[in-house]
Amino acid sequence: MIIIETSQQKVISLKKLTMNYGGNRVLTGVDLDVYQGQIIGYIGPNGAGKSTTVKIMLGLVDGYRGSVEIFDQDIANGDQAYKQRIGYVPEGGDLYDNLTACEYLTFTGRLYGLNEQEAEYKASRLIEKFGLEDVFHTRISAYSKGMKQKVLIIASLLHDPDIIFLDEPLNGLDANSVMIIKEILSQLAEEGKTIFYSSHIMDVVEKISNRIILLADGKVIADGSFEDLRQKNKEGTLEEIFNQLTGFNQHKQIADDIVSIVKEVEGDA
Amino acid sequence: MHNFLSLKILDKCERMFSTFGIDYNLMRQILQVKLTMDQRRVPTIFNQNAKQETKNQFLKSLGLYALYGLILIPFIVFGENYIFQMGIVFGIAMFMLMMSMISDFSTVLLDIRDKTILDTKPISDKTVSVAKMVHVCIYMTQLTGAFALIPLVVGLFTQGILFTLIFIVELVLMGLFIVVLTALIYIFILRFFSGERLKDIINYVQILLSISIIVGYQIVARSFEFVELDVSFTFQWWHVLIPPIWFGAPYELILNQQLSNTNIVLSLLVLLIPILSIFIYARLVPSFERNLQKLLNNSGTNKKKRMRINQVWQRLVCRSELEKTFFQFSSLILKQEREFKLKVYPSLGMGIVFPFIFLFSYISTNSFEELSSSKLYVTIHFCNLIILTVVHMLRYSSNYKAAWIYQTAPINNKFVIYRATLKAFLVKLYIPIFGLVSIIFIAIFSYQIIPDLIIVFLTALLITIITYRLINNKVYPFSESFAFAQDSSTTAITFLIMFIIAISAGVHFMITTIPFGIYAYGVILFVANLISWKKILPTKVAISKR
Repeated sequence: MIIIETSQQKVISLKKLTMNYGGNRVLTGVDLDVYQGQIIGYIGPNGAGKSTTVKIMLGLVDGYRGSVEIFDQDIANGDQAYKQRIGYVPEGGDLYDNLTACEYLTFTGRLYGLNEQEAEYKASRLIEKFGLEDVFHTRISAYSKGMKQKVLIIASLLHDPDIIFLDEPLNGLDANSVMIIKEILSQLAEEGKTIFYSSHIMDVVEKISNRIILLADGKVIADGSFEDLRQKNKEGTLEEIFNQLTGFNQHKQIADDIVSIVKEVEGDA
Repeated sequence: MHNFLSLKILDKCERMFSTFGIDYNLMRQILQVKLTMDQRRVPTIFNQNAKQETKNQFLKSLGLYALYGLILIPFIVFGENYIFQMGIVFGIAMFMLMMSMISDFSTVLLDIRDKTILDTKPISDKTVSVAKMVHVCIYMTQLTGAFALIPLVVGLFTQGILFTLIFIVELVLMGLFIVVLTALIYIFILRFFSGERLKDIINYVQILLSISIIVGYQIVARSFEFVELDVSFTFQWWHVLIPPIWFGAPYELILNQQLSNTNIVLSLLVLLIPILSIFIYARLVPSFERNLQKLLNNSGTNKKKRMRINQVWQRLVCRSELEKTFFQFSSLILKQEREFKLKVYPSLGMGIVFPFIFLFSYISTNSFEELSSSKLYVTIHFCNLIILTVVHMLRYSSNYKAAWIYQTAPINNKFVIYRATLKAFLVKLYIPIFGLVSIIFIAIFSYQIIPDLIIVFLTALLITIITYRLINNKVYPFSESFAFAQDSSTTAITFLIMFIIAISAGVHFMITTIPFGIYAYGVILFVANLISWKKILPTKVAISKR
């Protein structure tokens, strides 16, 4: 395992993190140090425990074993103040969509200590940049998926956090917006923000992350920059490296089977 | 999938559909899926005690409609003043059917998923639109059948065969009229308003339906003494504008042989208007389908709502910035979440009506003077019943998954969230209702009851915090699915709280017999409030380790 040493400060430190869900071991011992300014691409097969790790760090899930330190503070000490410096884009895109974007963003901004005018003004300027000014005072329930995603991204950035957790943040966004988000992330990282990016879209992860962490069966099985992983595994793309490391090689066989079943139905009709 | 009786009946008409160029088998497939989905939908009429897992809610709701249909019987049985009696019968029937049509069947009429699912398949437009029409007609037939079957049988025995035949023909015409009228209303609204506005209107109709069922039940149960049917009916020109009266006219014409011009005109209206409206409908359908797209796009208004009053309340009842934030958030949800309003607003209507039901039954045997000098103003305690329903419902939301925000935000004192939400409920829902009833009570009982009203309000505050503690203890507001709203574990607590409300009314009544007792009682309640709010939802907490 390659540890990337940077001169920067350590912001997240997970030690021997394990988690059980009703007898089912989701995390079997995750050790991880994250430094300021890194863009972490956090990948792994479905059910590998990616979301669980993120949720533990955000205080959404209780009952883990091991230690989680964020900004040198053990999050189990009960003080929620560390969350002040964290932004989060959840994967499901769930928000109170009976509110308008203005109302929702003002609400979340105030939760992180901005005052009302400040939150609303900042939200309105960000909304404008994302091209949503025409629907700022419209209920979110009338939004498309991509528009909702933009609102969630704005909500995560409004209070200028130092760590940003993003779970499939590009869901539903068009190609132009994707470019904007990628650029925002790299600029924020240069500013010294830390970005924790989990996704299933390998080519995006390959391009934006400067460190990739692959989780499988509840533990870290690869850790390093894309170059490191490529040298080690002698494969061309992150997707191929992913397949190799997770031991998946039947995709051809499964696809063949599916195609033949599809043809069968056609023949019978 | 179930093979429905209605489809088996429809099979007999297969030839007819085929001659009109409709692919009958495809249409049958579509209808079968739609009817299956109908069974799994929970009708508004069940709203009060819905449990979503149980099968075939629809059949059960038909049973309920049959029960409500019994209301019609007295009007059918007594007398032969048909235009009046049958006017009322059709008035009630039209109201009920129209309401349930709008509240439960809007989803079918306004289904935009149809477009993406069906229009992309190799099916002709004609088949799709006929399937939609047949679906609505099946629903209407079942509903009307359930509602009118027992009254029909009663009519057959008391009024004879001819009466029943007219009844059946008119019911069919009325059904058509309602279907088309509902569609025309939608066409009209969609033409001039946005999709969001239409959803609001449907929501209000649903609320109105629930309120009228609850209130209507209360009133009908007590109103049989009022039913005296020797009202004479004299025709006025504006009666032409009231459709239920048309439906009374054919009875006068045929059964009472009243061949007056008005009866002939009204009877013709019964026959012609439904047929005419079908033609108008057929003309407007294409534009309707086009306007349906409005429901998909984000065509809401983009105006900021001013909330000055909210700002004042915020400053008045909240201390910390965080509490203000949640107060505002909760106020918005209470005002804007449609499903929440649908579950809660009917019980607010009950809160208004309940105190008066007792006054009405008192006044039917006593004079108004006796009432205003009595102590019946303690019935205003029944307003507090709304606390029970609403505080329980505060934990549910259709966006319950969005509750992650409570945990990811840097909040050390989570009690602030509940404090703010309870305050928003009191300010936004309780005070307006209580204030309204209070004003009417002051008008009846004179200003001298103001100290008593303050006692009731203090009791309400206490009951709010107790109810919260017993039912919602530490569950985040708006954080659970409505599917769990009928958790049986809360039933026992519900009875306990109803008991507390009754006791508080009793105690209040007894205190009034003691001179100046009411002021002492007020002080006790005030202190009890202070302690329990502080104790249950402290403003300051120490950070505790997990």
